[in-house]
Amino acid sequence: MSEKQQNATVTTSERAFMMERVFDAPRELVFDAFSKAEHLKHWWGPKDWTLPVCTIDFRPGGVWHYCMKSPDGQYEAWGKAVYQEIVRPERIVYTDYFSDAEGNINEDLPQTVGTVEFIEQGGKTKVAMRAEYPTHEDLQKVLDMGMEEGIRQTWDRLAAHLAKQTG
Amino acid sequence: MRMVTIYDALTAPIRRQILDLLREKPRLVGELADLLEISQPGVSKHLRVLREAGLVDVRQDAQRRWYELRPEPLAEAHAWLDSYRHLWEARFDRLDSYLQALQEQEKENE
Repeated sequence: MSEKQQNATVTTSERAFMMERVFDAPRELVFDAFSKAEHLKHWWGPKDWTLPVCTIDFRPGGVWHYCMKSPDGQYEAWGKAVYQEIVRPERIVYTDYFSDAEGNINEDLPQTVGTVEFIEQGGKTKVAMRAEYPTHEDLQKVLDMGMEEGIRQTWDRLAAHLAKQTG
Repeated sequence: MRMVTIYDALTAPIRRQILDLLREKPRLVGELADLLEISQPGVSKHLRVLREAGLVDVRQDAQRRWYELRPEPLAEAHAWLDSYRHLWEARFDRLDSYLQALQEQEKENE
């Protein structure tokens, strides 16, 4: 199969991608970094983006409402995460939605289910993040251009900013 | 409103094979039927699904109908997923730097 064919297969048959990274920090601290506003605002977003809103209720069923703001201040990407499962300091499972300033969930846009595992490794911490892609129906909605222009612009800005960084 | 989603269109291996062949160049129905060793009506049925999903276009040229790939839908889906992956890489980069800075500060405060 050609590479592109594989990409097409990946898009349709795989529902998740995984990312692992080892951080040179104790597990408790890394877990805190994922669960406290004071830490999240320093890293939750692309380079130079800020997190001007970060309201977090860190417990199963609790909600985290946040806003990622672009470096020039022009674009805002609002998100809302609902925690499904929390096992300190091992695991966090949540569903991440597109949102707005009022905290409404945008049902027309894709949602992802994230599972973050924290594994202690000789004083360091391996973080294994698994994100389940939107369902194919969600992806179809995106492609059908049901995206509001503002959200699409924000997403394009995000993508362009990331492309610049990773070159 | 599209009735057939890309997912529907791509679940059948034979349709993925058709896309593979169209990726190389536009083709006629008869050509596809020969290459895939199925009947022409069979190919037409699959091509109809692919058209409804927006993955394939047909171009009339005198008596012949050429089927060609529309790469935009797949490219868009791929771009979205790529962006999402890059978003997480960017976050992890920042987390790494932040954790280092945090721990250095704690050491200084001791």
